[in-house]
Amino acid sequence: MAALLEIHDLAVYYGAIQALKAVTITVEPGEIVTLIGSNGAGKTTSLRCISRLINPRAGDIIYDGVSLLRRRPDEVVRQGIAHVPEGRRILSRLSVQDNLRLGAYSRHDRAAVRGDLDEQYVRFPILAQRRSQLAGTLSGGEQQMLAIARALMSRPRLLLLDEPSLGLAPIIVRDIFRIIRTLNAEGVTVLLVEQNAQLALQTAHRGYVLETGEVIFAGAAAQLIDDERVKKAYLG
Amino acid sequence: MNLTAGFQIIVNGMATGGVYAIFALGYTLVFSILGIINFAHSAVFTLGAYFTYALLGSQFGFNGLLARGRLPFGLSFPLALLGGAILAGLVAVMVERLAFRPLRKRGADPLLMLVSSLGVAVAIVNIIQYLFGAEPYTFPNILGGLPGSVNLGTPGTPLVARTVQLLIAGVSLVILALLTVYINYTNTGKALRAVAEDATTASLLGINTDRLVLLTFFLSGFIGGIAGTLVGLSVGITGPYFGIAFGLKGLSVIILGGLGSIPGAVLGGIVIGIGENLVPAEHVGYKDAVAFALLFIVLLVRPQGLLGRTQIQKV
Ligand SMILES: Nc1ncnc2c1ncn2[C@@H]1O[C@H](COP(=O)(O)OP(=O)(O)OP(=O)(O)O)[C@@H](O)[C@H]1O
Ligand SMILES: [Mg+2]
Repeated sequence: MAALLEIHDLAVYYGAIQALKAVTITVEPGEIVTLIGSNGAGKTTSLRCISRLINPRAGDIIYDGVSLLRRRPDEVVRQGIAHVPEGRRILSRLSVQDNLRLGAYSRHDRAAVRGDLDEQYVRFPILAQRRSQLAGTLSGGEQQMLAIARALMSRPRLLLLDEPSLGLAPIIVRDIFRIIRTLNAEGVTVLLVEQNAQLALQTAHRGYVLETGEVIFAGAAAQLIDDERVKKAYLG
Repeated sequence: MNLTAGFQIIVNGMATGGVYAIFALGYTLVFSILGIINFAHSAVFTLGAYFTYALLGSQFGFNGLLARGRLPFGLSFPLALLGGAILAGLVAVMVERLAFRPLRKRGADPLLMLVSSLGVAVAIVNIIQYLFGAEPYTFPNILGGLPGSVNLGTPGTPLVARTVQLLIAGVSLVILALLTVYINYTNTGKALRAVAEDATTASLLGINTDRLVLLTFFLSGFIGGIAGTLVGLSVGITGPYFGIAFGLKGLSVIILGGLGSIPGAVLGGIVIGIGENLVPAEHVGYKDAVAFALLFIVLLVRPQGLLGRTQIQKV
């Protein structure tokens, strides 16, 4: 089976600081792959490279057999990749519904977009209640739901999630991870960045452990979760 | 003060204020997306007036490269107004491509872009002088067979207004209404607001931010060009520096209303427009002082402007 996403030897610098050193990651269609690691390991940087928000100095990113490096962020979305950024980044001055509609900005099948909108409201009933409210007035958990629902509005094949559990109560985190599993069961491939390694490894099929810009462990999630070194460093 | 005088203050105030509002919106649109004041906007305003003048088929002045020439055709006023606005919009697009984008892509300090826009303004003013000469231009009568003034009251209680002022007020209000609908209710308008709030996130939603920046400049130039034509109709084109004084007025409008706020620009325009027209005719020389006095007083009480957000900051 050909990989959906292949990241080869990615090197990224912020000025003189090297944030990624030869990172190689593959994601097969239908998988949930998680990228774990402590603060500053380079997880967000990896996702921002895929979305073309930053340029790597070396390496390549192949999606569906074609390099993404010459594409703009909006073209990457059209290719079927949706990125739920760290900190949610909902558009606070627009309504919940307008946020969702903008998630479908790259699409032109209006009728289907309306159907998908209703689908998000079924999946996230709280958003249906809040649809005409300004997104900035939502709670943290609701904002995370909105960010995910908004990403789904582009009908992605690959969903990039950057720390969806950040700052949320355990019960909300459980909800969100349940939704991630459901989406995956429906056919969406997921690349999940998390600091909550325990939960991420329980959810994912495979995982990569990143430390100071390098992949130090990789393997099946079930193996990583039992690995003594991973346990000691990341599972407390 | 009798009824007619009061009515005229309102009509003239709406005409002046409406033009201020659409002109100031040109600054606001660019500011809300890029966080900079585009000083070239006042030069585009001037160009809009010259473009419309030319498209009407009127004869150019006695100086400049185009001296005594005229276009081989003449459009009706509505078409000339539209054409002038489109050309002004295209010039604004060129300004973005040549003066702003190269700096933006290098992550230049906003102050540099500001200086760059001033440079463009000076260049445009010089090109205008080279082409059209430094003399004032007066628009031909564009009212056709319409009377110069109309009575909207009854013969007993007349409410007389100059037709040109009514036209200016009407065109400004239509533009304001269209722009409001466009920005608030269309998909592209929502995308513009998304880019204004957070360009990076907007790009993650599939929005081509560079294209929307171009659209913003086009809209800003388009409405700036219309404002230029309307002011030109009212007082004539005073020369290549036509837009500079007006540009200062536009800046006080957006600061009064609140930087980056679209309703603020509209409110600021109307407040200053009506304020100026309250100045009695015998003191007309103090008209310009009104804008700055109003600005001064409002900023003492509300430093963020009438409808500005509490903090002016760009993240
Ligand atoms: N815009 C930037 N400018 C300079 N350095 C940066 C920038 N963004 C990230 N870095 C640095 O790059 C490294 C990787 O950052 P990154 O945000 O990718 O980490 P992360 O794994 O997502 O961390 P966290 O779990 O805290 O979100 C860090 O050392 C960080 O300080
Ligand atoms: Mg991060």
